[in-house]
Amino acid sequence: MSRNAIQWHQKPGFPDTHYVDTAIYTDESLFREEQAKIFGKCWIIACHESELPSAFDYRTFQHPAGVPLIIVRGEDMKLRAFYNICPHRGNTLLYDPVGNAKRITCIFHAWSFDTKGNCTDISRGKEGYQERFKCEDAGLREVKASIGYGGFVWVNVDDESGPLQEYIGDALGMLEEHMSMPLEVFHYHKAVVDTNYKLWHDTNSEFYHDYMHYFNRITGMLQPGYFDRKYTGYPNGHASVGSMSVRYDKYEGSKNRSVGWPGLAPGGWILIDIFPGMTYNLRTSVLRMDTAIPLGPNKVVIEFRGLGLKSDTPAERAERIRDHNTIWGPFGRNLHEDLLGVHGQGIAMREGTDSKWVIHGREENMTIHDEGGMRHFYAEWSRRMGRRANDPFGASPGASPGASPAPAKKLATA
Amino acid sequence: MIPKQSIDELIYRSCMRLDAKDFSGFLALCDPGFRYRVTAFSPEIRKEMIWLEHDKAGLKLLFDNLPRHNSDHSPITRHVTVYTVERDGDDGNARVVSGLQVYRTTLDGGETTLYAVGKLHDIVKVDGATPLLVDRSVRLDTRMLGIGYHIPF
Repeated sequence: MSRNAIQWHQKPGFPDTHYVDTAIYTDESLFREEQAKIFGKCWIIACHESELPSAFDYRTFQHPAGVPLIIVRGEDMKLRAFYNICPHRGNTLLYDPVGNAKRITCIFHAWSFDTKGNCTDISRGKEGYQERFKCEDAGLREVKASIGYGGFVWVNVDDESGPLQEYIGDALGMLEEHMSMPLEVFHYHKAVVDTNYKLWHDTNSEFYHDYMHYFNRITGMLQPGYFDRKYTGYPNGHASVGSMSVRYDKYEGSKNRSVGWPGLAPGGWILIDIFPGMTYNLRTSVLRMDTAIPLGPNKVVIEFRGLGLKSDTPAERAERIRDHNTIWGPFGRNLHEDLLGVHGQGIAMREGTDSKWVIHGREENMTIHDEGGMRHFYAEWSRRMGRRANDPFGASPGASPGASPAPAKKLATA
Repeated sequence: MIPKQSIDELIYRSCMRLDAKDFSGFLALCDPGFRYRVTAFSPEIRKEMIWLEHDKAGLKLLFDNLPRHNSDHSPITRHVTVYTVERDGDDGNARVVSGLQVYRTTLDGGETTLYAVGKLHDIVKVDGATPLLVDRSVRLDTRMLGIGYHIPF
C-alpha cells in the first residue's frame, strides 16, 4: 500500500539506532561540523609510501577537513606533512600532485623551505623586515604523519590527537599478516560523485546490495559460505567483514585467480572499513583502498588505489591488473554499479526532494546481509557529532539536542 | 593497395558501431587476433596504467555480459579525427593515430558534455581485400570518468 505525506514522514518502526534522517546527507551546516569534529580529528590516509620512493619526493593531498597538504620525504627518508600554504601571502606552495623538491620555493615571492618545514630563505628579508621577522618565524605548519597498515601514509591535522595505533586499535588485525610485505600502488584514479561521502562508506559497509552486482551474485551470493560471513565492529567506528571463497570461475569470461595473495585462501575476500571514509578491500590478488574526501554535503571525491606486492614479477603484476580491472577501475563491472548506486542516492536525497529516512534495520545475527556495519558507523558518527543520526537537530519530542549516545563498543551491541 | 580513405573509414566506422552499441558489427571489423586496451598515465603514482585489456574473445564476452549488469545507459559519442597513417612497418600493417573525444549525452533532457579526451593508436591489417583492426590502444588524457562506464571507448 502506498503512503500519504504524513505516513511518509512518520519515523520508521525501528529502534532509534536502526534508521537515520537524510538531513545528515544533505545539510550544509552538518557538513561543516563534520569537517571540524570528524575529519579534523581522525587519522586519514593521504597516500602510499610507494608514491614517494626517493628523498625529496613529494605528494599533495586535499585533506577532507579542508586543508591542502604536502607530504614530503626528507633527506633522512622520513615522511612529513605540512600545509601546502605559504606563510607569507597564503599562496599554494606546490602545484603538481607529485614531484621532487630539495627546496620548496613559493613561486610568488620566492620564499624557500626545506623538507623539515624550516624556512630557509626570505627574499630580501633583512631589507624589508630588518630584525622584526626572520626565517625562524616563518616555518611551515606541520601536521602529524605516520606510516603503517600496509605502508599507507596517514595524517592527522589535530595536534592533540593520539597515535595512529590507538586510533586503529585491533580493527586491521584480520589483514595484518597479509600486509607484512612491502606493497606498491599500480592503479590510481579519482571519481567525483554528487553524493554524500557517508553514502559511499555505507555502500562499503553493507553487502545486502550484492543484489545490484551480477558478478557478486554469481561468484559469491550463490556459493557456499557467503551467508556465513560476519561483521565485527571495533572502537572508533571501524568494522570488518570476514572472508569466504569466491568462485570467480562462475562468471563467464572470468576464471579462478592464479596469483593470489600471501596467506589469503584462494578466492578469499576481506573487507575492513576505517572510520570515517576509508576501506581496505582485499580480494584474492589485489588490495583496493578507497579514500572518500567530501567536498560538500552532496559532493565527494573518492580516491581509488589498487595495490600489489612490490616484489611482483611482471607476469604477476599483469595478472593482478587483469583481476583488478575485471570488477574495479573506471571500466570494471562492480565499481561502476556501486557508483551508479550512490549517484542515484545523491539525486534522490538532494535538499528539497522530501526524502526523509534511510533504514539500517536488517538484523541477521551480524552476518553478511545484516545492516549492523552501518549502525556501528552511525553510533560513532553520533558520538563525535554530539547529534543523533536519526534526529540530528533534536526535533523529536523528548530528544536532547547535542546529547551524545554512549561510545561505540563492539558491534554486537549496535 | 588499400587506399588511405578505406583505412580512415575503418577507424570512423569502428567508432560509429560502438556508438550504436552494434558490438557484433564492431567485432566484424577486427582481425581474429585483435587486441584492445585502455591506458593512461597517472602522475599521482608516477606509473603507466592499464584500465582495460582484452583479446577479441574477451571483448565479445564483455559485450555479451553487459545486459546482465546495471549500467549507466547515457549514450556516448566518439568523435575521431585521423591524424596520421603510416605504412612503413616491417609487418606490412598500417599504424594509425587519431584524436579522440568522447561526449556523453544524458537520457533525461539530452544534455551533452565532454566526457573524455585522448588518442586512438590503431594497427590495421591492410594485406586483404578490406582493412581490419589488429590492435587498438585507447590512450586517455582524461582520468576522471565520474561513475565510470561499462562499454569500452
